[in-house]
Amino acid sequence: MKKILILLFAVSLSSNLWAQDFNKYLATARTAYSAGKLEDSRFAMEQMMQELDMTIGREVLKLLPAKMDALEQNSAADNVIGTVGFLGVMIHRDYGKNDKKAEIDIITNSPLIASINTILAIPFVGNSKDGTQKRVKIEGYKGLLQKNIDTQTNKVTYELQIPFNSTLLTFKTTDADENQVMKMASQIPISEIAKMLQ
Amino acid sequence: MKNLFKLLIVMFLINPFLNSHAQGLLKKIKQKVGQATDRAIDKKIDQSIDKSVGVSPAGNNKNSGPGNKGGAGLITVPPNVNENLKDAGASFTANNYGEARYSVQQAMLGVEMEIGKKILKELPETVAGLKKITDDDQVTSTGWGWAGLTIQRNYRENDRQLDLVIANNSVWMAAVNMYLANGGYAQTTNSQQNWKQTKFKGNRAIIEFDQSSGYKLSVPLGQTSLIVFNGINFDTESSFMNALSAFDVEGIKKTLGEK
Repeated sequence: MKKILILLFAVSLSSNLWAQDFNKYLATARTAYSAGKLEDSRFAMEQMMQELDMTIGREVLKLLPAKMDALEQNSAADNVIGTVGFLGVMIHRDYGKNDKKAEIDIITNSPLIASINTILAIPFVGNSKDGTQKRVKIEGYKGLLQKNIDTQTNKVTYELQIPFNSTLLTFKTTDADENQVMKMASQIPISEIAKMLQ
Repeated sequence: MKNLFKLLIVMFLINPFLNSHAQGLLKKIKQKVGQATDRAIDKKIDQSIDKSVGVSPAGNNKNSGPGNKGGAGLITVPPNVNENLKDAGASFTANNYGEARYSVQQAMLGVEMEIGKKILKELPETVAGLKKITDDDQVTSTGWGWAGLTIQRNYRENDRQLDLVIANNSVWMAAVNMYLANGGYAQTTNSQQNWKQTKFKGNRAIIEFDQSSGYKLSVPLGQTSLIVFNGINFDTESSFMNALSAFDVEGIKKTLGEK
């Protein structure tokens, strides 16, 4: 209980600090703009944008389920990386331990991803004859499910890619069959994430 | 009888020719019929499509709507920076992060357009007898991301032209600048040499020559800016470089916040 309270306190403190940073950069952008220091104002706006991207990333992490089927989330592995410009924001969460694992990676606000998504959304990128690739739908969002078999260990991994707007959500699993993958994927609140990232 | 016999022989001799000729004729008739049928079917299809989408048949303009003859186009006013910053703050406080992001992006777009216009104002009116083409002045900004801010100005007199493009704050520019400023361009001494490293007002630069496009000077400015001059119909490298001396590179760097 004590640990939970400490964690909650830390989370609320850090989000307040981030809000302070955003407001600090906002004030700098305004002051610099009024003083005609356009470049300084723009730099402060870039900082605001980065703060926003990081905040959005943390909010997306809050939306993700704490458990993926029987797999517990690894809080220590939660990560949000905000890059300036074309790479956008990368959000990561993983579940499970040892060989049985699931991972969610979201890349958002990236012009680069927007072009990748265009390719993924093309209908002919579809089912393959050997059954290693198929188009699926999760919460109404079209995605591409790929099955990979390790030639040495014979272990099966699945990778599900769901593109929306300038965001690409990738869900990877190890040691799970297709039904389990789809069941776990259906627990990802894609609509809510899309709404947050729009 | 004799005549009939002759006729039969002649018929027998020309039979293959007649056959092939007849076949060709039949083929042609078949093609013509086919084309006529196709046209008739196409016409019918066109008519039914036109009817279903509410368009009058081609060649019959009795019921067609009016074509657009004018209009003042769109109002190209850059986004209001102060308003957008205010909106960004309000949206952030309301935890409406998507909207806050949009407002910051708009504010950045606004401020970048102002930076671009300021730079264009600072550029010379004439360069080596070439007058600026005001209509060609262009500032392009994406607000944020890959492309950054680009500023364009053209100078022209008869067949001589000098263009300049300034790219600023784009992500890829940092990599390009690193490449250019560190001698990434190979230099050879044979007759095919059409580029070389040079210096322009204390800044490392690359000068190139192409028979069809003329002289080109690329000058990396600071960390994320690049200025490219393109001279058409300049006699020599020195006449091109002399013309460029009219530009205040340090002033441009300062406005762009480059060191």
